Amino acid sequence: MAHEFLRLEKIHKSFAGVHALRGVDFSIQQGEIHCLVGENGSGKSTLIKIISGVLHPDSGRILVEGRAVASLGSAATMASGIQVIYQDLSLFPNLTVAENIAIAEVKERGRALVNWKEIRDIARAAMARIQVDLDLEVEVGELPIGKQQLVAICRALTSELKLLILDEPTSSLPKPDIDHLLAVVRDLQAHGIAVLFVSHKLNEVFEVAERITVLRDGERVATLPPGELDDDRLVGLMTGRTLSRTPFAFRDTAAPIVLEVRGLSKPNNFEDISFQLRAGEIVALIGLIGSGRTELALALFGISPAARGEIRVEGNPVPVRSVQEAVAAGIAYVPENRLVQGLVMKHSVEENLTAPVLDKLLGRLGLVDPVRKAALAREWIQTLGIKVADPAVPVQTLSGGNQQRVVIAKWLAADPRILILDGPTVGVDVMAKGAIHQYVRDLAARGMAVLLITDEIPEAVVNANRILIMRAGRIRREIDTVGLQVEEVQQLVEART
Amino acid sequence: MSPRPVPAHPGRGVLPDLLRHNETYLAVLIVVLCAAITLANPAFLTYENITGFLKSYAMLGIMAVGALFVLVLSGSPDVSFTAIAQVVEYAVVVAAMRLGGNIFLALLFAAVLGMALGLVNGAIVHWFRVPTIIVTIATFNIYFGMLYVVTHGKLINSVPTLFRTFGNALILSRVSRIGATYGLSLMTLVWLVTAALGWFILARTSLGRSVFAIGGNEVAAERVGVAMLRTRLFVFGLVGFLSGVAAVVHVSIVQSVVPNIIVGKELDVIAAVVLGGASVFGGKGTILGSVLGVLLFAILNNGLTLLNFSSYWYNVTIGVVITVAITISAVQQLRRQRARVHVNVEP
Amino acid sequence: MSPAFLRRPSSNRTLAGILLALLVLMSALNPQRFPTLGNLVSMSYQLPIIAFLSLGMMVTMVSGGINLAIVATANFTGIVTVLLLQALAGDAADQAGPGVALLAMAGGLAAAVVVGLVTGWLIAFVEVPPILATLATMTLLSGVNLVITKGYTLSGFPDFLLAVGNGMAGPVPIPFIILLVVVAVMGVFLRRTRTGLSIYMVGANPIAAGYSNVPVRAVLVRDYVLSSAFAALTAFIMMGQLNSVKANYAESYLLVSVLACFLGGVDPFGGAGSLTGMVLSVVILQVVSTGVNLLRMDPFFIQALWGFIILVLLAASYLGGRLREGRRLRAARSAQQTADHPPGVGAAR
Repeated sequence: MAHEFLRLEKIHKSFAGVHALRGVDFSIQQGEIHCLVGENGSGKSTLIKIISGVLHPDSGRILVEGRAVASLGSAATMASGIQVIYQDLSLFPNLTVAENIAIAEVKERGRALVNWKEIRDIARAAMARIQVDLDLEVEVGELPIGKQQLVAICRALTSELKLLILDEPTSSLPKPDIDHLLAVVRDLQAHGIAVLFVSHKLNEVFEVAERITVLRDGERVATLPPGELDDDRLVGLMTGRTLSRTPFAFRDTAAPIVLEVRGLSKPNNFEDISFQLRAGEIVALIGLIGSGRTELALALFGISPAARGEIRVEGNPVPVRSVQEAVAAGIAYVPENRLVQGLVMKHSVEENLTAPVLDKLLGRLGLVDPVRKAALAREWIQTLGIKVADPAVPVQTLSGGNQQRVVIAKWLAADPRILILDGPTVGVDVMAKGAIHQYVRDLAARGMAVLLITDEIPEAVVNANRILIMRAGRIRREIDTVGLQVEEVQQLVEART
Repeated sequence: MSPRPVPAHPGRGVLPDLLRHNETYLAVLIVVLCAAITLANPAFLTYENITGFLKSYAMLGIMAVGALFVLVLSGSPDVSFTAIAQVVEYAVVVAAMRLGGNIFLALLFAAVLGMALGLVNGAIVHWFRVPTIIVTIATFNIYFGMLYVVTHGKLINSVPTLFRTFGNALILSRVSRIGATYGLSLMTLVWLVTAALGWFILARTSLGRSVFAIGGNEVAAERVGVAMLRTRLFVFGLVGFLSGVAAVVHVSIVQSVVPNIIVGKELDVIAAVVLGGASVFGGKGTILGSVLGVLLFAILNNGLTLLNFSSYWYNVTIGVVITVAITISAVQQLRRQRARVHVNVEP
Repeated sequence: MSPAFLRRPSSNRTLAGILLALLVLMSALNPQRFPTLGNLVSMSYQLPIIAFLSLGMMVTMVSGGINLAIVATANFTGIVTVLLLQALAGDAADQAGPGVALLAMAGGLAAAVVVGLVTGWLIAFVEVPPILATLATMTLLSGVNLVITKGYTLSGFPDFLLAVGNGMAGPVPIPFIILLVVVAVMGVFLRRTRTGLSIYMVGANPIAAGYSNVPVRAVLVRDYVLSSAFAALTAFIMMGQLNSVKANYAESYLLVSVLACFLGGVDPFGGAGSLTGMVLSVVILQVVSTGVNLLRMDPFFIQALWGFIILVLLAASYLGGRLREGRRLRAARSAQQTADHPPGVGAAR
């Protein structure tokens, strides 16, 4: 019979007036696969940091294998067999696979001289435990992310691992790697290692979890097996509200074709892409990572121009060889990675909002008019309901949802005809997701042509009127969403012809 | 093994592997250069000539070993090591003049003093979290400025015999027709020994691997338990240590102390190390590359002299070499990025 | 309201305070010679040289790079200008009129611009890291300078050219007037032009800048051309004051210009830097240099002192920065929290 490995009782933690965790009870059984879900701000990352020893709780008890521990410092954590793999994986791109896997153990052993045979042995032993076989001498920086993750897991296995915490592990993995990862997770379980999965991808959570704990506003709201939950109930627990899910409808078949793409191709990116977008439509482009969907978007936006094919905006062929040309043609792109691609974190909200449209804010002598700049920023802050007291604060101080609004707003300010949204609600809490979806629908209602790139099928089914399914660089199917079921789409996305 | 499509990735054969490393290109370039110069002036490929330039570049070679460590650690170069060498050179000569002693004591003194000056850099870089280049610009100014304040820029024209003996020491010597003795200088051996030591530390010791770890991913290094302060202090202390040794080597060769002769060569040393494959982003570099880089500069300089070009052409030549090298390296990098397969398009 | 990254009120106030204190200190230490009109004029002659070099360094540091070749470019400009003068006016170069002088200067400026274009191309299109690209051009240029001049000093300049660096317009030195104009223009450039604003964005996050319709490559090339133009301007003023050009004048100024940038608040990682701070810092450096000179203190002592000042500033900015960052982020986050979750009923958005 499995017994308890870790128990947290009545954990409280506050920072600078924010009460991040309020009396949270949490437990993980030995060898259990447990998922932790919650919006941004729910306290889940704080809880992880307390379990992994990075933070100390203000009050409450922690018991590891039945024994109370004063607090988990990072040394104590590792000694207890708890390891965390963060999203950034903590790997050394300039070192080999073998050295990456073995480094923690080697540092632990603390010898002055390096024994390369020992390193290779440690690495092979770890890989053998999860039946993975990577080339030991490759530099980790050259591996695709899926393999890098395996390296990180192997490193965790070099010590006496009892609980492995994975923080959003699948967010940048292509489907085959996700499957492999989930298989590895089950393998770990077979070895008696518990796995705590933090994820916002509900379909994966349901696939692999034995129990799901939901956090909301710093409190543990529920801990249930997946059988007792479905998407709606889970979202309801996470947000304390229910979301309405009226499907988006598009009826104006006479609306003008705003974007037409014919035979667009780029070697090793995508091939023979053709589709049309009418004003007022929201067309979802679904594809897993590695399907070419982002590459297509980057080609439409001029970042990585296509090699062949034609793009027409409102009937006129436009060469899109640079971002400047794309913007001039009326195309805007809201990128998937807000932190790196979407915003300049150090700069103010105003600076970020006005960055793409500086040439529209010119006054006398061709100089940017600060008054118009500030006015534009204020206008969009208001229109999108961006919660910020002062437009001059650095945008990094805003919450995820507000940051995403800034990214969207800055492109709306450019008055585009075609809006490409790439994963616009990733890393955004559920309520803000709903608000963003509603806003996009309003835009469509006013004539914007929207291309919504996402890998969350429910999001696409509800918010788009048409779905393009992309796989291995080509568009495979085009379906209307009327009466469409999520499962159907799922199968089409993953099917192999 | 998960059934994944094979990524388009350079194979692991020997030739493609070799071609990815700067050292290969450097080695080829050196061979080509040697051939070209010898054709123009056969005096190049003589034992006397080669041991000659290997001796005169020993100081830069020793300092390059230290410079490599710093570049691997963080990519931001140390520019104070020439000032450290300058200070130590003065100090060790004055100490020898006043206290006597032998070459081993002199080396010990110089190395320890240099190490102390280097440790200051290490401490500041660790605690204030500022790029090394900025901290070392500051310490450069402090060390060099104070040296002049104390010495008033006075030259020392005759140094104690122990330095002269050290500098003139040869192994495998021969006597030329006119009676001059030449051979492999002990200074060159010191360079090779420090290079070997540097290689050993980087490849075979935990501290050395920690340097690579911090250079590759500073945050991860801390997480896996790398001793951050100790590693940083070690690197900068080593730079100082080697600068001290280089100072003794230098004064033994030129047999005088001119307080501003070493200073100004920092960027040459850094350029040599970068040519050898060290990355300005940190985490990459080899001792072999640094040795080859310095060797390349030595050969270029010697070649210019033998071919009767005035010394003014030295900078231009080095500048061209650096420009070509960094351009090729950057273009290769761009090509590699573009060749990366994003999507395996189904036919 | 100027962009957040250009405002550093607290640090600029500190700099202004330091400047004031230094002025008082130097006057107290040297009551006969420091607080005199003559000294003020003398300082305003020397200031522009370090100011222009520092400005040229600043624009590249703000974009996330550095221009190690700035002094070599200045020397190169000087040499090209002299060569053109000699080509145009032969032996009578020092009697040449303003037209010839301007033509030669235009040629020198063009040479600097070419250097900037090449450097900018290497950095923007070939994607060579700026420190390496400018290391390469610096080595090349100093070599070329040496080869052309063979180490000799060249002189013999027409009055017009000398006036740029050494002349007076009434009681005010001409180079100082030029400095005032340039600073005013730079103020507008950095805050109000697309290129200026883009330089900051590229320095802070070149990827996001690219995604935000900023022509990153063009901006970088313009940036390094601008930096080289500043080098050219410095050259003209140096020529006026030294009445000669040499392959390696002002070599030590490279480090001083980096110091000035850092003192003036340029973020060593790029993306931020205040013009006001720069100006204050350059004036501070000039005051310290002159004041200590008048005291007949060892100039090398000043050099060591500057090194020490950087360290003190690094310490202060690190400690101060950590305190301020922490406070500001926490304040902003808790303000954000209350904005997101107003007390009482959660209103529908």
